[in-house]
Amino acid sequence: MSLLRVENVTKRFGGLVAVDNVTAEIAHGEMMAIVGPNGAGKTTLFNLINGVFFPDEGKIWFEDVDVTRYPAYRRAHLGIGRTFQISRPFGSATVQENIAIGAMFGAAGGEIDVDQAMDMADHYIGLIGLSSHRDKLAGGLTPIEKKMMEIARALAMKPRLLLMDEAMAGMNPKDIDKMVDFIKRIREEEGIAIVALVEHIMRAVAGLAERVLVMHQGAKLVDEPTKAALSDPRVIEVYLGVPPGEADA
Amino acid sequence: MGAARKYAPLLPVLGLYAALFAIGLLVPGKWQLIAQLVFYCALGQAFNLFMGMTGYVDFGYVAFMGVGAYGMAVTVSSLSDKGLGMGVIGIGLILSVVFAILLSLAVGAVALRLRGAYFAIATIGVNEGFRYLIEGARIWNGSEGIIFSSQLRELIGREAAMSLSTFWADVMVFGVAGIATVLTIVYMRGKIGYALAALRMDEDAAKVMGINVTRFKIIAFITSAALAGLLGATAWAVKLTYVYPADVFGIHYTVEAIIIVLLGGAGTLLGPIVGGLIYGVSKYYLAVYLPGFQLLVFAPVIIAVIVLFPEGTVGMIKKNLLGTALEKYIL
Repeated sequence: MSLLRVENVTKRFGGLVAVDNVTAEIAHGEMMAIVGPNGAGKTTLFNLINGVFFPDEGKIWFEDVDVTRYPAYRRAHLGIGRTFQISRPFGSATVQENIAIGAMFGAAGGEIDVDQAMDMADHYIGLIGLSSHRDKLAGGLTPIEKKMMEIARALAMKPRLLLMDEAMAGMNPKDIDKMVDFIKRIREEEGIAIVALVEHIMRAVAGLAERVLVMHQGAKLVDEPTKAALSDPRVIEVYLGVPPGEADA
Repeated sequence: MGAARKYAPLLPVLGLYAALFAIGLLVPGKWQLIAQLVFYCALGQAFNLFMGMTGYVDFGYVAFMGVGAYGMAVTVSSLSDKGLGMGVIGIGLILSVVFAILLSLAVGAVALRLRGAYFAIATIGVNEGFRYLIEGARIWNGSEGIIFSSQLRELIGREAAMSLSTFWADVMVFGVAGIATVLTIVYMRGKIGYALAALRMDEDAAKVMGINVTRFKIIAFITSAALAGLLGATAWAVKLTYVYPADVFGIHYTVEAIIIVLLGGAGTLLGPIVGGLIYGVSKYYLAVYLPGFQLLVFAPVIIAVIVLFPEGTVGMIKKNLLGTALEKYIL
């Protein structure tokens, strides 16, 4: 049984079909990347999976539950965590409080009181190496620290599926490699499935994902193991265009 | 966090209220001023529980005080001959809370689906609409209001009625302030406080973190409305022994509540009290020394405070005390 199954989902904004009849699955503990150029519909697909939007057509299953019409907070309780492309920290709360909020209201939230959530937050602050910033306001962190804090906040929710939106955008290659190692590590330690959205950092995709889903103009173009997907001529065409010599062939 | 540290911020709040109470009792001729100040503080605290904690501005807030005042007036005027004595005041307080909660459910069910400015606009007509409903449909005597001073005398006797409206009504306002204080710190220190803080800062991110934002907004809205109902019942109905729709649905009370919360610091425990004191004292003395010009002087002062300390005076104090031993007392 798959962890998440997206069945023929379509989402339109007025006349624009942002996600066009996409079907995809992710298994327990799997590491998958969704790639595609800007505007391909990746973030909209994410928003459909975690309930920010409801699809116009199609169904979404999480484990055996039809979550198509579940609001975002209920999907969080079931175990879908999420980080944002542009970090969205609770700026005037401390780093510890930010992460504790994840623990308090996430999948394990029901049984956790405020003090326990703070202790859990300390654990995840250690994991991301921000212990010295524990009592700082999250709004004052650097962009990379905010990204890390957001990952910790999502992990504190005890998700079984973590959706990471452009976790490595704007990072230099060294930081990307560090982030790839970190994501691999948390996937091992926490035993969760991770879906990462990546626009164009193939270094991250190659290092991270077992399987790649390539999106183009809202539709699924390719869904294959990483190596095959990245060398698929259709994928290369989407990213680089058709070589001039073949344009009219 | 240990309980002592958790509840340490109660100290300055209760200290200020105790000081006010002592001044009122011991300094001759100051009780009415103190009563007015405590009313502003309690109003700020009740309003802060919703506006300060969620960031939503409810322009219809005074309607909850209005229906609370009616709850008390209706109770006293219809139960005065049942021989229940002071118990009727208790029933009146309960009814005022019930009225306020019912109205908050009706308003909240519609308005809380809206966000930001849309919420503010949706609530702006609530008090006027309710006032015209009472006047137009002649509910509760319509625009003539309810005057229940004779029923109150019949109920508990002339002497008791006198001391009830000149003294004990104000003591009850202190009581409302106390309840508001306890609720505020329990909320702030509990999960609900974190949920409200999260949705105030970023509502969409809060939802994704598993927070049922609608539920927490409604809880804060109802709590804040219930306190407003109590405030209307005590500071208006019991104190004045009459209720006129034109008085108790005046939007300027909502505006005062907003000013108090912003002056003191939205979403803080101590803020509404500091804001209420600054507002009440300035309003009183400006009216004494610069009659007719008080608003002209007051407006730039408010603008200056809000520009200089966007997080309110208590927000500013909190920042300056960060890392000192006094930090734990300011919330």
